[in-house]
Amino acid sequence: MKKYILGRVFRAIIAVFVVTSIAILMVYTMIPKDNVFRDDTGQMSKLNGNPDGMADFKNNKWEQLGYLDFQRQAEMCQSSSDYNACMLIEEEPYVDEYGQDMVEYHYSDVAQEVIDQYTADGYTVSYYTKGGFYAVREYSGLEIIANFYKNFIDIDHPWKVEDPDNPEMERSVYFATDYNGVPAIKCSGCEHNYLLYFDGSFPFIHQNFIGIDFGSSYPTYQNSSTLDVINQNQGSLVSEERTLPNGNTAKTAENYHTCVYKQTSALDSRDLNKFPDNYATCKTYYQDPSMVTISYMFGIISLILAYLIAIPAGVSMARNKGKIQDKIGTVYINIMISLPSLAFIYFMKLIGFNFGLPDKFPIFGFNDLRSYILPVIILALLSTSSVMIWMRRYMVDQSNADYVKFARAKGLSQREIFRKHILKNAIIPIVNGIPSSIILCISGSVITETVFAVPGMGKMLPDAINSFNNNMVITLTFIFTGLSIFSILIGDLLMTVVDPRIQLTAKGGND
Amino acid sequence: MEEKKNIILSVKDLVVKFKVRDRVLTAIRNISLDFEEGKVVAIVGESGSGKSVFTKTFTGMLETNGEVTQGEIWFEGENLMTFKKDEEWMKIRGKKIATVFQDPMTSLNPVRTIGYQISEVIIKHQGKSKEEAKQEAIKLMERVGIYDAERRYDEYPFMYSGGMRQRIVIAIALACRPKILICDEPTTALDVTIQAQIIHLIKELSQEYGFTTIYITHDLGVVANVADVVAVMYAGQIIEYGTVEEVFYDPRHPYTWGLLSSLPQLGEKGHELFAIPGTPPSLFEEIKGDAFAPRSEYAMRIDFEEEPPIFKVSDTHYAKTWLLDPRAPKVEKPVTIQNLHEKMVAITAKGGIYGERE
Repeated sequence: MKKYILGRVFRAIIAVFVVTSIAILMVYTMIPKDNVFRDDTGQMSKLNGNPDGMADFKNNKWEQLGYLDFQRQAEMCQSSSDYNACMLIEEEPYVDEYGQDMVEYHYSDVAQEVIDQYTADGYTVSYYTKGGFYAVREYSGLEIIANFYKNFIDIDHPWKVEDPDNPEMERSVYFATDYNGVPAIKCSGCEHNYLLYFDGSFPFIHQNFIGIDFGSSYPTYQNSSTLDVINQNQGSLVSEERTLPNGNTAKTAENYHTCVYKQTSALDSRDLNKFPDNYATCKTYYQDPSMVTISYMFGIISLILAYLIAIPAGVSMARNKGKIQDKIGTVYINIMISLPSLAFIYFMKLIGFNFGLPDKFPIFGFNDLRSYILPVIILALLSTSSVMIWMRRYMVDQSNADYVKFARAKGLSQREIFRKHILKNAIIPIVNGIPSSIILCISGSVITETVFAVPGMGKMLPDAINSFNNNMVITLTFIFTGLSIFSILIGDLLMTVVDPRIQLTAKGGND
Repeated sequence: MEEKKNIILSVKDLVVKFKVRDRVLTAIRNISLDFEEGKVVAIVGESGSGKSVFTKTFTGMLETNGEVTQGEIWFEGENLMTFKKDEEWMKIRGKKIATVFQDPMTSLNPVRTIGYQISEVIIKHQGKSKEEAKQEAIKLMERVGIYDAERRYDEYPFMYSGGMRQRIVIAIALACRPKILICDEPTTALDVTIQAQIIHLIKELSQEYGFTTIYITHDLGVVANVADVVAVMYAGQIIEYGTVEEVFYDPRHPYTWGLLSSLPQLGEKGHELFAIPGTPPSLFEEIKGDAFAPRSEYAMRIDFEEEPPIFKVSDTHYAKTWLLDPRAPKVEKPVTIQNLHEKMVAITAKGGIYGERE
């Protein structure tokens, strides 16, 4: 059993990486790379009419995103025999055929050598309109994947920070108490100040030893990593009276557990006031839960509600097969299946609106129960029909089984047979599906979240695809693939709990 | 069937009909039969003759499309046919009349432990506590021949072999201390050696616990081995009834002759095995005369016109055939089944179920 699970986990991890790699390959090679700037209209209009700046910006971004290797003249000349000669640009003004003043640029022989060398290495060398050159080499598919995973796992250690202005820095990991007096593992020389700490937010114990890096989000949610976009709380800042790292108290929204190293050259006077050391870049507390949390809250509450409605309803349909309960249930299932879910959502929204419930989530916001009622009920009802129909079906199937006949002959009442025997058999396939429904409820609520303007994760993937946010697409692909594969595993494990006949072994048969 | 005998269950003029796609099928046609306490009664007949349906009426377990349209079943001073609700049947079903079904592989709930399934019945019918029920269940398991019962109490049916499961099924049936145990082809799904063990076990237990056993089977070897009384059924009627000796050595109904002649043990090498020609009549139509007449080589004209009454052969032996009418021509039973006892002993001398008898 243990061996089997380990094997499954191993294969699951491989599968996740294979899928992610395919996603990377597709995103990076099949979508024109110019598309990533389409939604960054601000930057684009700023650089409009400045072709050199545009080229610089684009190539820089592409290099950052992992599309290509971008070498400026300065970097190229590092490899030449004479750096200064290589960097030299001679300007020769002339008047072109339309009478315009133009400048022609000439480069030294050393520079030409470097250019030839780069061209021979597969780079494309281009020239700026205002003088100077740069080289660009697009990565092959395999290189793109390799580069992606090279930075994927990010282990923090005391020799991580390189700060030329702070050569005397102590480099060690040590036990300490945080500014609130709670024990923690701290580090000097690491990227993060706190490697392990406790606080009041779920899951209460947090670590910074190992980080996973999917790259940063662009063009939407610029300058934060994709995981932070999904994970970090949102809304307005929460300023409270807090103890500063240097012992003073002040009203602030910063979370000092999350501080990372700031180069000495970048420290300003406020940082020096507040922080005793260089760990001065901190995340802040926001009022509202993160996208993942919101989607999960909706998903899980509605799922529980759905099962609470659907299982008893399905059981009652099966027990009263052909009678009025069964007929009403069948009508309900048929309506739910045939009605387009969008129509159902708007219909329910209208009904709810007449009862004074808000038709958009942000009207009352996170702290009002009324905001949740309609989306949760709608999400729950949407998934009841399939659970009901399967529950009824499994129950009816089981109630024709021989053991039911024998249980009747034993003298058990119909009630006892249903409760003690049939239900336990019929629930097995349902149980198998529960983890995947729980885990996948994030992705299942796209329409509802859109209609109610819920700031959840449901429409994150379509949004990311539409705005060509490559890293976000890959991150979400990774998360969703991982979740679905592991939820199937959990479903199988749960099956072994409810069905003694099922044993998970590597080779099948007895173990 | 004299007054003195202790009758435990008495069926009077029972008719059972089924509704099948708007048509009505008569499965049991006017059966009257008394079951004597402590005896082993075997009901034999080919598939579709109504054996199972007949015994299902004793516990109110007819399929939902079946209905008793006529007749009475008297048990412990009550007419079971007046029962309307399931709650009324609860007093009888399992508690007083228990049933063991054909296929032990599917008779047990696959996801409940063996122990749970036995003690559930003890708790329900004997009102014992969980702990007492467990003790009793373990005793029962040991009694039906499960080794290491204490450990196996918490195992699941899939961990048991077919024969052991049937032992458990029997243990469950016995857990209610029934007055009557109906064994609906209890050995059909088992292999021959296990068959013998199970039959032996049921026989032993019936003496120990003093219940009446009703066997439903088409295995005449089993009948010869265990039964005191045999009832032969054909097309929803009992056509011959008598002690096992009478039915085997002095059968009177042509159908019984056919059945006995079909015993594969009686076949001679090089000759084809005997089979009764034709098929049973359709139960959708009303049967005129003797239901077996179209297949019988002894049929007379009257057999096609009028249903034969039940003729008394001896105090314990009855048969429903015109051949017993004084006016009927004298016919001998087929040669194959003359001196049946000697033949059977000779054949089974080397072993087998029949050979175990006496």
